[in-house]
Amino acid sequence: MINQIFALSWKDLKIFFKDPAAVALTFLTPFVFIVVMSYALQGVFGSEEESFQILVVNQDRGNHAEQIIQELSKMKGFRIETDWDGQPLTRQTAESLIITGKRGLAIIFPPEFSAVLTQPLIAAERFTTTVILLADPVISIQFTEPLSGTLRGLIERTAFAALAPQGIDFVLNQLAPSAPADASERLKSLMLSSRVLEGDNVPVSIAQLAPPGMRVEQKPNTFQQNIPGYTIYGIFWIVNALALSVLQEKRDGTFRRLMVAPIDRAVMFVGKLLPYYIINLAQIGILLGVSSVLFGMSLGRSPSGLVAVSLATAASALGLGVLVSAAARTESQAAGLSVLLILTMCTLGGCFVPRFIMPEWLRTLGLITPHAWALDAYQHLLVRGYGLVEVLPQIGALLGFAVLFFGIGTWRFRFE
Amino acid sequence: MILVQGLVKRYGSRTAVDGVSFCVQAGEVFGLLGPNGAGKTTTISILATLLRPDAGQVSIGGYDLLTQTSEVKKLIGFVPQELALYPTLSAWDNLAFFGCIYGLHGRALHKRIAAALDLVRLRDRASEAVRHFSGGMKRRLNIAAGLVHQPQVLFLDEPTVGVDPQSRNFIFEYVEQLKAEGMTIIYTTHYMEEAERLCDRVAIIDEGRIVAMDTVRSLVNLLGGGVIYVSLAPTSVTQGLLPTICAFPHVQSASIQDSRLKIETRNAPLTLSALIEVCSAHNASILSLEVLEPNLESVFLHLTGKSLRN
Repeated sequence: MINQIFALSWKDLKIFFKDPAAVALTFLTPFVFIVVMSYALQGVFGSEEESFQILVVNQDRGNHAEQIIQELSKMKGFRIETDWDGQPLTRQTAESLIITGKRGLAIIFPPEFSAVLTQPLIAAERFTTTVILLADPVISIQFTEPLSGTLRGLIERTAFAALAPQGIDFVLNQLAPSAPADASERLKSLMLSSRVLEGDNVPVSIAQLAPPGMRVEQKPNTFQQNIPGYTIYGIFWIVNALALSVLQEKRDGTFRRLMVAPIDRAVMFVGKLLPYYIINLAQIGILLGVSSVLFGMSLGRSPSGLVAVSLATAASALGLGVLVSAAARTESQAAGLSVLLILTMCTLGGCFVPRFIMPEWLRTLGLITPHAWALDAYQHLLVRGYGLVEVLPQIGALLGFAVLFFGIGTWRFRFE
Repeated sequence: MILVQGLVKRYGSRTAVDGVSFCVQAGEVFGLLGPNGAGKTTTISILATLLRPDAGQVSIGGYDLLTQTSEVKKLIGFVPQELALYPTLSAWDNLAFFGCIYGLHGRALHKRIAAALDLVRLRDRASEAVRHFSGGMKRRLNIAAGLVHQPQVLFLDEPTVGVDPQSRNFIFEYVEQLKAEGMTIIYTTHYMEEAERLCDRVAIIDEGRIVAMDTVRSLVNLLGGGVIYVSLAPTSVTQGLLPTICAFPHVQSASIQDSRLKIETRNAPLTLSALIEVCSAHNASILSLEVLEPNLESVFLHLTGKSLRN
């Protein structure tokens, strides 16, 4: 029995190692995925250098906003940027950086921030102001809420520090106008450190806004934020299906039989690919449609944009399928290569981990994947409320990928 | 119908087809007989437009293979060694697909599918997925897929490989029926029985070259007489018998095993009469006697020094 188990196992090991490319892919795929995923998540779990980047625009004419910025800078997990290209950040620059996807979040302190915090407590009319948390709508609540909470706490602390002395002086003047100055100071110090006067009466609120041009009618829900990424992930599995089908036709000899028929190879090629393109488009339609009906996900304002992006994304996925079909010699190789490419490209492209939390170099590297462009395009349409014109660059990039993949794939493709 | 002149195909330094020339008349069944690796499949692949030759000329139906390929493709049908079918589709759907590729549609397609399925006796299984078929049934459908468009010339590349005896007989019958209908067929095989039964003429091919080409009878006649088998009674005295037989003028070889004599001769009738006399003289009682004509196997052995089954 032991001999039989050994013989069976040995046979399978020999078969497995007969295909070195498939063997390499088996071991390479998890390794590459681990490396890419680890780098991608550095913004969440990684070092201080790779912490979450936040733009801060300080328009405050006083110094209290600066104090909060200093406090934020000391915190782990955030990397505060107040300059861009050597110049102090302006609101316009911050908006532009978010719109172009270079950054995801900005805090904007208004010019009257310090003045509002330090206005007399007993003034007849108390002024209020708003600190703006400018956020790309694709950034999920898991990232904006901790920042908003931290900011609120810092503002309250600063407000308390600014207002408490006034309050103590006011109370002392009312209760003990003749109290010595040093006793008054000691009391102030004690009350400040014990925060006994701390309360909710802070005249500064925080408002989360999307950059101008993003026509977000309602705060995107979790489905809206996740479905584009996972839809793209699903679309690219067509690579595996197409490659396996091509290799099966090669193995079974059906391509060989067709090559004898009076049919042009280009026609054979188009006929082979077209159903997979249709399947892909149907997949996108069903995923988005079901998500809209079941989960209330908005489909945006631009049906034409959605159609154009879907056509271009499906074309790039199909092109990659042709490339893998041409590169793989066996079905094991095709399966391994497909999984490697799909997982790596999806991660780099931001389908699993939001690109805004990735290190900058990885974000740039992600642009070599069609996934990043497709995701950006879908997020433009579904989350940011953009139209067809705004996604034309992404459509162009996706078609570029499709042409590149098809070009190399058809050059290397063999029907036998 | 088919004219092949000086066909050459090389793979690197190896010459798979080395100056093959032959012609096939319309309605003829022409066999390419040779062992595995002899160059049969390469030759048939070139004729079926799957491979480009490195040298030589081929014309099929008057069309040049290299310059009028699309015209040639309309004339030919190809049954590859592999079961080139879609296993998840039904038999009918497979034939419908291949028929469509050849431009058939509507009633004509329906009629042709039905005829092809009738020929291979799979009409009653038409709607079943091919993956549920036995190996023999798949082989038969594989042939039907090459016939659905009614080609004038059919290439059959070892169509009986891995087939049970019953399905093999069915396939022989289909080929005979197609031959009766006037189809030109090129049939590759390494089974001499198939070539002997089906082919009007046979080219014996070895190491990429045609070593002999003629009708089966003419090829067999290359070896003359035949083989005589004689079963002797166990009590027979066989000592001294064998050297006497070997000394006969037409005998090529003789052997004896378990009282069974095997004599290869160039002239069976003359050898037979002399043999009976010698057996009588040696008191060897003959229980049975069989005379076999020489076959393609022995011809191949004679021409190449190798067995067809190698």
